[in-house]
Amino acid sequence: MLNHKLLEVENLKKYYPVSGGLLYRHLGDVKAVDGVSFYIRDGETLGLVGESGCGKSTLGRTILRLEEPTEGTIIYRGTDITKLDRKELRGLRKEIQIIFQDPQSSLDPRMTIGQSIGEALLIHGLKDDRERGRRVTDMLERVGLEAQLALRYPHEFSSGQRQRIGIARALAPSPRLIIADEPVSALDVSIQAQILNLMLDLRREFRLAYLLIAHDLSVIRQVSQRVAVMYLGKIVELAETGEIFINALHPYTEALISAIPSIRQRKIRILLPGNVPSPLNPPPGCRFHTRCHRVLPICHQAEPHLKDVGNGHLVACHLHGV
Amino acid sequence: MTKKGIKHLAGKVGGIKNLLIILLATLWGLTLLADIFVVEKIFDPLGYLYIALGIVALRYVVWPLYTGRRLVQYYWQRVKRNRLAVLGLAFILFLILLAVFGPLFTPDPTAANFEQKNLPPVGFTTEESIYNPQTGQFITKTISGTWEHPLGTDNKGRDLLAMIISGAGVSLQVGLLATGIAVALGTLIGVVSAYLGGKVDNILMRFTDIMMTFPFFLLLVFIVFIFGPNLAFIVLVIGLTGWTGTARLIRSETLSLRTREFILAAKALGASDGRIILAHLVPNVVSLIVVIATLSIPGVIMAEAALSFIGLGDPAVTSWGMVLRAGQQSLDTTWWVAVAPGIMLFFTVLAFNFVGDGLRDAFDPRSSV
Amino acid sequence: MEGAILKIRNLRTYFFTRRGIVKAVDGVSFDLVKGECLCLVGESGCGKTVTALSILGLIDTPPGRIVAGEIFYDGMDLAKCSAEQLRHVRGKEIAMIFQDAQSALNPVFTIGDQIVEQIKLHLKVSYREARDKVINLLKEVGIPSPEEVANYYPHQLSGGMKQRAMIAMSLSCDPQLLIADEPTTAVDVTIKAQIIDIFHQLKETRKMSLLFITHELGIVSEIGDRIVVMYAGRVAETAAVSELLNNPKHPYSTGLIKCLPDITQERERLESIPGTVPSLIDLPSGCLFHPRCDKAIAICRKKQPLPVSVNHGHTVFCHLY
Repeated sequence: MLNHKLLEVENLKKYYPVSGGLLYRHLGDVKAVDGVSFYIRDGETLGLVGESGCGKSTLGRTILRLEEPTEGTIIYRGTDITKLDRKELRGLRKEIQIIFQDPQSSLDPRMTIGQSIGEALLIHGLKDDRERGRRVTDMLERVGLEAQLALRYPHEFSSGQRQRIGIARALAPSPRLIIADEPVSALDVSIQAQILNLMLDLRREFRLAYLLIAHDLSVIRQVSQRVAVMYLGKIVELAETGEIFINALHPYTEALISAIPSIRQRKIRILLPGNVPSPLNPPPGCRFHTRCHRVLPICHQAEPHLKDVGNGHLVACHLHGV
Repeated sequence: MTKKGIKHLAGKVGGIKNLLIILLATLWGLTLLADIFVVEKIFDPLGYLYIALGIVALRYVVWPLYTGRRLVQYYWQRVKRNRLAVLGLAFILFLILLAVFGPLFTPDPTAANFEQKNLPPVGFTTEESIYNPQTGQFITKTISGTWEHPLGTDNKGRDLLAMIISGAGVSLQVGLLATGIAVALGTLIGVVSAYLGGKVDNILMRFTDIMMTFPFFLLLVFIVFIFGPNLAFIVLVIGLTGWTGTARLIRSETLSLRTREFILAAKALGASDGRIILAHLVPNVVSLIVVIATLSIPGVIMAEAALSFIGLGDPAVTSWGMVLRAGQQSLDTTWWVAVAPGIMLFFTVLAFNFVGDGLRDAFDPRSSV
Repeated sequence: MEGAILKIRNLRTYFFTRRGIVKAVDGVSFDLVKGECLCLVGESGCGKTVTALSILGLIDTPPGRIVAGEIFYDGMDLAKCSAEQLRHVRGKEIAMIFQDAQSALNPVFTIGDQIVEQIKLHLKVSYREARDKVINLLKEVGIPSPEEVANYYPHQLSGGMKQRAMIAMSLSCDPQLLIADEPTTAVDVTIKAQIIDIFHQLKETRKMSLLFITHELGIVSEIGDRIVVMYAGRVAETAAVSELLNNPKHPYSTGLIKCLPDITQERERLESIPGTVPSLIDLPSGCLFHPRCDKAIAICRKKQPLPVSVNHGHTVFCHLY
């Protein structure tokens, strides 16, 4: 596999302005994504993990420009896609695709699944019905569904099947990068395994890169080469998968790993007190300091930045010399 | 026009079906222009409205129903289980048959026949007092209904059954056309407003608010004053002022649809705003549109009946309202003239309401039908 | 079983729909010993929620009905109780926590008011006393500043807080048995850990009996004493938790355990169970799991397996034994 950087995100920010009061004054911003930088290589899977509200879904959508970035650059195959106009953006839509969490609401209930899968092809110029039909059949078979099911409607399928359809739809325009936003969270355990295996197979077959967004670390472990941990809009740690699980450096990562219920290990759990602070008003200094079990005095004042501590292992924490 | 040329053109507008519709619409426009400026009347105004509605219905109702046969079957199964809805549908079908074929078997509803005036319906008898100037006394004479005029006649001898049948036709036409216009307009404004949001939404909704307060009645009086009473105008006025409720409802539904993931998915695939609105949003509000339309028809029919009742109706056309108007003065003697249209209106409104409710339940995924 | 507080015998709950009879629970039996945590485990559609609802008589009666079986609690057969009697049991003796805290809490009342209402419904206490109890309950489930939070509305609380509030509400009348339906499914990992901790505490301080419904085996290993594995409305295997996780006998149990993504090992591919759960209207013949079982033999298609005791307290429903 080539080691080219397929996607490089630099200092990406997405703020949602909040207005209120009688005169609709600008009260502040919800800093959903607050300065995120990372890259994904060709054919690689980067896992992005974090809890609800940390901004991971927003990050995924901003990369696709389904949400417009407030600041920062996104470089895809050498081009800064934040600067593309509408026409050029359309071309991009063939290259980067997305799979959603909820198989129920991510398919148009009034379109047959054949139409849903073929829509991308239609939009990008394949108007010949027969050729489109063949491609749709091809996609269906690749994800393990029979061709004649193309005429059915989403409500006639189970969740697992609907997720496969969502994957087929994302694959149809032959993308290079797929953003998978919690693709298995809403599925049963045995179906989760099936879908993850499918994603692994497709990656091998199509040389796909994935940005796998999930809150379940064990899923990430299985499928990703590298893992990024997000908290309140920022990446707090990024490293190779094996490295993170053996040698988690950031206290939040430690807590996440210890929180996973496991049937094979009895472990000491690190319980995080309190709740995730509001992204409207993040704590000063290090955002995690209010809940950190290894907090230092400096954490209240200065915000740590991501630093490479060796081996491509990045961490943003004062404990590790920043 | 070569075959290739046609295919190319079709590709540009989004399919053969759109090409055909554009062709038909252009023909319609040209005919209308010719009618106004050049030639003698080709169609009357109502006719033009019909054809326009027909073209829109063809593209947005008939074609989707055909391509989505499976879905239609699925919903039909659900509707069938609601007995009241089925009864309502049966009644509406009966009305349609009555309106279409009835006139073949009954006399002209406007034909006055003074010799046979004030006849009661079949099976009833009335008494009439006749003054005999020679004897100076009143003689009561019983008149009974005949099968020649099964529902009786009014004070001008016009056959009531014929009038009711004509009225059925009018109510259905007005219901269909006026509702069609109102719903089409309301949907367009609602969907565009919700999808584009922001300033456009604001402007359109304020416009809707203004239209809501519009005194449609005054407008109608004004138009009648200038152009004379004409059914086409009534239809147009009801249609052009009655879209506001629909717009609001469709807008709120679209707002909630807009955030659904499949819309986001379509955007991610590269769909343009136009495509998202037409291919994704509209088909998903269709069920709501159908329910709104079905439940609006009774209101429209009653509006027309009310207008005719107070005399603003089209005198060339016999509608139920008009018959009510004729019959209301002599309710104590020739009661059948008022009762017949009253009963018809009652059942028609009920029928459409039942069907509308049945459709609403069938379309709601949460209700277990 | 000795000291069982809840005994379910051959429970059958069917739903009579136009498309056929949905056999949601079809012959389920198990015992829950006082003070233990019994986990009902299975995937969606296996009938675990319906079982819990049947115990409390909360099944929607037009389509659904308990067709057969007995639910013994404290000498009474709940399946045969009247609505009036059941209402006394609900909340006071047996309480239930639902999966979605959002929809279980009434959005137009404050947390405090809702719990007070619950208390006053079952216990004869004054408003003041009820209020004090509420504050203590909120403290017990780990809600900070309980006096303030009691005056909050549900939408002002975070997901984890709402979950805790719901647990507090269920404890308000000091029930003997708590049924928890997937309380950790819809929450984040760190909140999950907190919630499991609360349940640990409850077991210890209140000596409560717990019927814990979940599909996550990891949680079961943390908090469960015994486990009942369900599939498509029937029981597949019953055992002590450690016994089942180390020594699973039923092919479905084995499959479930193998499916779990594991953070301790790196694997090329995940094991998965082929096929999908059958529709509850159109069930396979014989053993319900046979179409997906890689160890199926001829008899599996024909006869329903009978319970076989493979070890002390370990029962499996499979023809292989």
